[in-house]
Amino acid sequence: MNTDPSALASLLEESQDLQADALRPTSEALEELIEQHRESSDEDPTTRATFHDEHRNALAASLRNAPLLSAAGGLALIGALASPAAAATSKDVQILQTAASIENLAVATYKAALSLPYIGGSSANGVITAFARTTMSQHAQHTAAFNAAIRRLKGRVQTKPDPAFVPVVNKAVGSLSGMSDAAATLAVVGLALELENIAAETYVKNTSLVDATSNRGLFASIMGVEAQHVSVLLAVQALLSAGAPQLIALSPTTVSSLPAIAGKVGFPNPFYKTNQAAPASQGAVK
Amino acid sequence: MNSHEKLQNADAFEGTERELTAMTRELDDAHHDVGMPAMWQGVEQMIDGLQSHSKNASSRRTFLMGAGASLAGGAALIGAGLPSLAGASTRSSKSASASKLAFPPANLKGDLVVAAVAASLENLAVFAYTAGLGAATAGKLGMVPPAVATFATVVRAQHAQHAAAWNAVLKSHGKARVTVTNPKLTPVVQKDFAKVTDITGLAKLALTLETIAAETYQVETSNLKSRAAVELAASIEPVEMQHIAILYYVLGQYPGVQTSAGVPLAFSPTNQAA
Repeated sequence: MNTDPSALASLLEESQDLQADALRPTSEALEELIEQHRESSDEDPTTRATFHDEHRNALAASLRNAPLLSAAGGLALIGALASPAAAATSKDVQILQTAASIENLAVATYKAALSLPYIGGSSANGVITAFARTTMSQHAQHTAAFNAAIRRLKGRVQTKPDPAFVPVVNKAVGSLSGMSDAAATLAVVGLALELENIAAETYVKNTSLVDATSNRGLFASIMGVEAQHVSVLLAVQALLSAGAPQLIALSPTTVSSLPAIAGKVGFPNPFYKTNQAAPASQGAVK
Repeated sequence: MNSHEKLQNADAFEGTERELTAMTRELDDAHHDVGMPAMWQGVEQMIDGLQSHSKNASSRRTFLMGAGASLAGGAALIGAGLPSLAGASTRSSKSASASKLAFPPANLKGDLVVAAVAASLENLAVFAYTAGLGAATAGKLGMVPPAVATFATVVRAQHAQHAAAWNAVLKSHGKARVTVTNPKLTPVVQKDFAKVTDITGLAKLALTLETIAAETYQVETSNLKSRAAVELAASIEPVEMQHIAILYYVLGQYPGVQTSAGVPLAFSPTNQAA
């Protein structure tokens, strides 16, 4: 393999500093978000009730479309998750809290994955390890950004993972024992793929749900990053499934060895779908 | 046969190809079963949304191109059967009146301006990938890996679908379809493409175009007025970002948005937005 994990690690350290520059526009957007929110924070009861009804319907639709959730019997969660408590907070805050809960779950999942020898250990593929570390760091930054927005809007920050998906992740992680390293790696990639896709679809949908224009900008700055995670995981999944992990390498020469079909597996749809998006208030603090 | 055994099997790669083909065929089937109807439903919703919104739309900031900008650098490509880049540069209509050369067209306002410019960006991407595939076929780029040829073919088709979506919106409002490449960027692409001698150079040019498109859509999700327009732009931006991820992989770099120094970023910047 031609990858250089030490170089990637160095890049990641450097990214912590440079990321501050990238976050600057986000901070400015958050300031604008606060001002706009102050103008619209007194939503009338009818608006909130409508949002709550839409949330309940969206929750049912999302659970029907998410394979992991269906497998875990997630439909039973509708009543608990769609409780009226969520309707007491403004729409934008609930949406931000849900986003933060998804990010928290992603961080926890990658952290658990990296503790596994075939993902984060010396026997793991260096590119997969570097990807998992980078992606975990990025999700933590997303959490921070969403919670910063919540805090400035006088909402309660979300420090917990999305309640609807936690049992699913726990079940998936529990099922890894007894698997071969290759099978377990593929299972972890599949789990990460589904979480990343839920995040991407949720944020694509959220861009048109939020009231504050600047909030759209925040989601828009993250949704594409999550979609890139999906793309990478789709490619990794395909190469692992085909028994070609040696092609998961960062080298200009790798591409010449890839089969033709690998050129399109990472972007299956011309338009990003939203049928697996998490309901807007699913992860709202209650 | 498990994956480890396959690696040790001299014939493993043939099986790999078959499995990847099967997987991709499933994705294609799913896309056509679910993705396309959903996409056109989304476009129809956008059309309805824009029609209700455009009643109050006022002439607002120009997007990408100032109104009245010359079409001189633009290439009429869709109706002309995708001419080569060099040919395209000579297709500017010197005899056309100034009003016909204006881009975006002066009769467009509000979100429709964005639709027109988005279509022109997508047209440019279609044009660039077509030119790249043509050069590859002609043997001008050296050895072309099969995965790169597949990438260019599929990505070109997706950009064409994006252009079609924006043009469907324009058509629904009684406006002319945008069949030109973006006038501002076309000369730049032509100049850069002339310097491309291999796949790496082509990938870098494609990366620039995809980045401009993705960041432009990202910016416009905050500027668009109708909810349906936001939904359409937001459904395209992540796909352009996915193209970017794979292009970085092709170049042997970290497969995600990053700084010019190659440092991965958690938030997509907008400094290259058109």
